[in-house]
Amino acid sequence: MSPARSYRIATLLLLLLSAAAPTRAASPPGRVVSTNLCTDQLLLLLADERQIASVTHLAREPNSSFMAEAARGYPVNHDRVEELLALQPDLVVTGGHARTGTAALLDRLGYRVEHFPDAADLEGIRANIRRMASLLGRRARGEAVIGRMQRRIIAATTALPEKPLSALFYQPRGYTSGSGTLHDLALHLSGWRNVAAEEGIRGFAPIDLERVLLARPVQLFTSTYAPGTDSLAQRQLRHPALRQLTAARPMIEIGYRYWICGGPMIAEAVERLARARRDR
Amino acid sequence: MSRRREFLSAQGRLVMLLSAALATLFLLSLVTGANPLPLWRALHESLADTPTVLSLILTEVRLPRSLIALVAGASLGLGGALLQGLLRNPLASPGLIGSASGASLGAVSVLYFGLGAGFWAALPLGGMSGALLAMLLVYLLAGRDASIVTLILAGVAINATMLALISLLLNLAPSPYAVQEMVLWMLGSVANHGMDAFWIMLPGTLLGWLLALGSGRALDALTLGEETARSMGVDLVRLRWRLFLAVALTVGSAVSITGSIGFVGLVVPHLLRPLVGYMPGRLLPVSALGGGLMLLLADMAVRLLPAGTEIKVGVITSLVGAPFFLYLILKTRRVQP
Repeated sequence: MSPARSYRIATLLLLLLSAAAPTRAASPPGRVVSTNLCTDQLLLLLADERQIASVTHLAREPNSSFMAEAARGYPVNHDRVEELLALQPDLVVTGGHARTGTAALLDRLGYRVEHFPDAADLEGIRANIRRMASLLGRRARGEAVIGRMQRRIIAATTALPEKPLSALFYQPRGYTSGSGTLHDLALHLSGWRNVAAEEGIRGFAPIDLERVLLARPVQLFTSTYAPGTDSLAQRQLRHPALRQLTAARPMIEIGYRYWICGGPMIAEAVERLARARRDR
Repeated sequence: MSRRREFLSAQGRLVMLLSAALATLFLLSLVTGANPLPLWRALHESLADTPTVLSLILTEVRLPRSLIALVAGASLGLGGALLQGLLRNPLASPGLIGSASGASLGAVSVLYFGLGAGFWAALPLGGMSGALLAMLLVYLLAGRDASIVTLILAGVAINATMLALISLLLNLAPSPYAVQEMVLWMLGSVANHGMDAFWIMLPGTLLGWLLALGSGRALDALTLGEETARSMGVDLVRLRWRLFLAVALTVGSAVSITGSIGFVGLVVPHLLRPLVGYMPGRLLPVSALGGGLMLLLADMAVRLLPAGTEIKVGVITSLVGAPFFLYLILKTRRVQP
């Protein structure tokens, strides 16, 4: 790790510790409601089971949620105000790009609402875990989760072949993940070059099929969703030109649940990407 | 007699000119894209046994895309000319009288719900039945001798209904990607198809073109009024069914692959009408060629946009077509105050 990087992490840590300090005085919340898939997973991962009042219905959906199994035992909500009020939460955790109308309304009604930004890198993931753990009064648990994630990533990425090879995430509808995404991070950690980022694509954006063919990535990865259903988006992955390109090396499927939210599941995604790199 | 011959040759020249332009544009379309493609080398490599990247781009990406743009554009142009001639209404076109949105609805109900899964013709058949149904509804709503305004209003009502149903179906579809494809069905795109999509849309299209063929004389007679046309031996009921079916077949096939691409069927016949002496019969082949030209051009424009953007070809045709539509409305308002 570069000095600049460790410095950044250290400052971030300090900032977070100081920000979280006032909450330590009060007793940890006992009825926590999550209204976003990403905070669902953090909550299920870190909280004592008695603290969880409700998670969203998405948390139980195995394609999207890494914690689908764990979510089964809890009441689900659909991010509707009436529902949430009936749950009488003492803490509402939510996330995503924008603060949803529901969370803003609860905030105005005097409920305690904590918003978690989407994490697109390891620092963001660690920060979210620490913040959630601290809100729940479960710091030790948070550090344990972070430690396990880091150890898995280090174990998976040591002794990788020296030279990074070109790879690309090609998703239904012809979308790809460029720079600033979890996919990009995981590819780099596991010995791949992200062709999409090299083509100048930022974030989650469509990539021209011709560009994919010309760049000729060594390996294509994909995260399809809802097998057995049909749409033009899904048909895009069966394009004849793509079939020819992947004839020798079939696309490798790495499910959506690894990527929708930044969290410790990134370690497992890195393990799978690194395995693909070693097999190469 | 001599005047007639002169007209024919003028028509012949126009058809030749448009065909030549279309052929040139088609070749240009094969070399146009985000990445330059040396056509000669790509052609050469296409003939070799092992596919190379260049040959794949040529034969599996650009060729189907250009063919689909050409054929879908031709069908939309022809559809507009047929409907404007048949209904003797300058604003009639596949987009405005419901055939395109009906075709979208038909295709959407087949594709996302696995109806006729594995049967190649299920998708275009869905599009065709949707187009026919929507057109008949508009026709019944507006009545036989509808004024321009009544027809357009009936079209607006049916279009709104079709769009609402498309939205409903896409929201209910089992695929999580379905909802995001709303834009595609509303604006249309010819990108990202393989040759299989082209083969799927071809039979219905050809059948529709055949049906439309030879209806020119009847449409010419119809310009003199229904009574006169009937006295000249035109069976109006049969003509109406035949042309509705022709539009349903062509537009239904095209839209089930590309989504409903707006305004091609409205703009093209209008631009070309003065060039064929305002004869609806002569307008048919010319509009088909012109429609192909317009859609190919619009698609080439879309392809030259920078990476990471996803602009549908229908955005371009609508941006060009909507002001034109306004102009037409103003013009008809001046004619009939």
